[in-house]
Amino acid sequence: MSQSRVVMVKTRGAFSTDGMLDAKRVQAMLQRGIGLLGEHGRWQDTLGAYFRSRDIIGLKINTIGGKAISTRPELAESFARLLTAGGFPADNIVIWDRTNRELREAGYSLRMNRAGLKVYGTNSRGVGYGSRLVAHRNVGSLFSAIQERIVTASVSLAILKDHGMAGVTAGMKNYFGAIHNPNKYHDNHCDPFVAEVFETPLIRDKHRLSIIDALRVQYHRGPAYHARWAEPAQTLIFSTDPVAADFTGWRLIEQLRAGAGLPTLEEEARYPDYILTAARMGLGRARSKDIRLIVEEI
Amino acid sequence: MKRRRFLKLTAGAGAAAGSGLCALCLDLEALQDPSNLSRVEARFYDKLPDREIECRLCPRLCKLGDKERGYCGVRENIGGTYYTLVYGKACIVQTDPIEKKPFFHYLPSSSTLSLATAGCNVNCKFCQNWEISQVRPEQIRHFDFPPAAAVQAARSQDCPVIAYTYSEPIVFFEYMYDTSVAARAAGLRNVVITGGHTKPEPLQELLKVVDAVKVDLKAFTQDFYTQYVRGELQPVLDAIKVIAQSGVWLEIVYLVIPSLNDRPEDFGNMSRWLLQSVGPEVPIHFSRFYPAYLMQNLPPTPVSTLENAYRIAREEGLRYVYVGNVPGHKGESTYCPRCETRVIHREGFTVRDIRIRDGCCASCRQVIPGIWD
Repeated sequence: MSQSRVVMVKTRGAFSTDGMLDAKRVQAMLQRGIGLLGEHGRWQDTLGAYFRSRDIIGLKINTIGGKAISTRPELAESFARLLTAGGFPADNIVIWDRTNRELREAGYSLRMNRAGLKVYGTNSRGVGYGSRLVAHRNVGSLFSAIQERIVTASVSLAILKDHGMAGVTAGMKNYFGAIHNPNKYHDNHCDPFVAEVFETPLIRDKHRLSIIDALRVQYHRGPAYHARWAEPAQTLIFSTDPVAADFTGWRLIEQLRAGAGLPTLEEEARYPDYILTAARMGLGRARSKDIRLIVEEI
Repeated sequence: MKRRRFLKLTAGAGAAAGSGLCALCLDLEALQDPSNLSRVEARFYDKLPDREIECRLCPRLCKLGDKERGYCGVRENIGGTYYTLVYGKACIVQTDPIEKKPFFHYLPSSSTLSLATAGCNVNCKFCQNWEISQVRPEQIRHFDFPPAAAVQAARSQDCPVIAYTYSEPIVFFEYMYDTSVAARAAGLRNVVITGGHTKPEPLQELLKVVDAVKVDLKAFTQDFYTQYVRGELQPVLDAIKVIAQSGVWLEIVYLVIPSLNDRPEDFGNMSRWLLQSVGPEVPIHFSRFYPAYLMQNLPPTPVSTLENAYRIAREEGLRYVYVGNVPGHKGESTYCPRCETRVIHREGFTVRDIRIRDGCCASCRQVIPGIWD
């Protein structure tokens, strides 16, 4: 069996001295990362392999951390522009999360009923959660209508953070924002719930790509923002394997923790078992030897 | 003239209710933006470093970072202070007969003003009210209904009792507590319908201001609580003992689910424990399960299973045993343990006849425990 490909694109100087993110630099990181994920190195070809021309593409972001530690608007909007440049109409792209309030607080401008790119939350008027209770293994949830009936293809455009209960939050756990009751699935370090939510057909069948925002990583005391333990790692992680992407993010968090002299997540009894559970369920790979990690610096 | 309408139950609560509901008229204008949650500081939590908190309301002891919510979904850490989001934010307000709770030894045939908010601290796979208990408050329609409004509504509807019910009242502790205090001051009484999954400190505080508690004892094994409730049994047993010792009236319900908690030894073990821990006079209701929520694949409980539970509990020495959710069954009625006279005749939620005088059997003068007036 071939390895899962994970691309890690790093840069320097992505943030200006006042903390602003250089959108052009982010765009370049995206183009490089997407390109390296594919066989031929051209981001246009790679995107063409992941999405159909008529897809409604959902970019599921994570905005619970407010402006300080959410998926950066520059990243989400840059990726939307890349899709548009790749031939996918802006009308068919939705940047979304749970609530409009969280989107606004994270710096997004809402756009729902206008032509072009859409940005809105599940709690928007006329959206909400589906009425069909989805029961899957240990999970019973209503799904955001955006995930359930609006989008046909999904990208987890997640923020990478340490998480007090889960250990790590990244691409798979980002989909907790697609269900109505994530509070019910944080027991036992979210294991096996993150994997089981991801495995539901509404997620798994639509998921195309994980892009993990590690531009600034909360590597300790997450998921809330604490400047003391937030590292501008200036990194993006890309993979079509959701487990390998999360595994790579987890490794990065451990590196940052080690660099700061902090104990490992295992030593803090916050080992993110759900990532290994997801691998055992066949959702992807979670061993270094099964992952081909391509690290690129631009 | 104001537009008025009947506020209807959600589908889940309706299923629990059966039929014959008397809904309360409410002003449409009172309905609020669903995102309009309360921000009242919660009780029973500790502030930790780095804006974290630890909740001490229930055995989960949720430890939460900034902007995180507890398992219940209705309490949130905002900047290192823990808030209840549902204070005065009722999602159900209606009148019910007290028999529906069920309370069989507490003010028979009384009307209760029943209140609920969103949220619960367990996740029972068989929950009949999951549309309110397993959602966040912003996901369902709710309205401003502060304690004073609840008291006023109870009085205007001739309800001598306010019942905190349908979801898990412990998670709206502050709202329930303040409403109970206001209700008592107005001469009303308070009853609580709970899973009992709580810490002793809030429970003891609550017992100072309420008059009766019904505990849903969902099984008598930790394995069941782990698999089907996602909670712990021991705190529930501890809560039952605390309530019994407090003098607040206590009744127990055991929902009998085919193949999951219906073994004769389950009934026997539980009955012996009740006998030893709270005595023979605490009423126990064996209720019939109907498919709900994540448990649609099991049939309704056979009546014979409920009758078996009834028989075992009686043989173990419990004196007031009932069969629930089987309208018209003789096990719905109360019988004098000495002369076996039917002292309260019930059919469904309707009380047909009461033959209790001054708290005693009208035939033989045996004391029948309960709060009768």
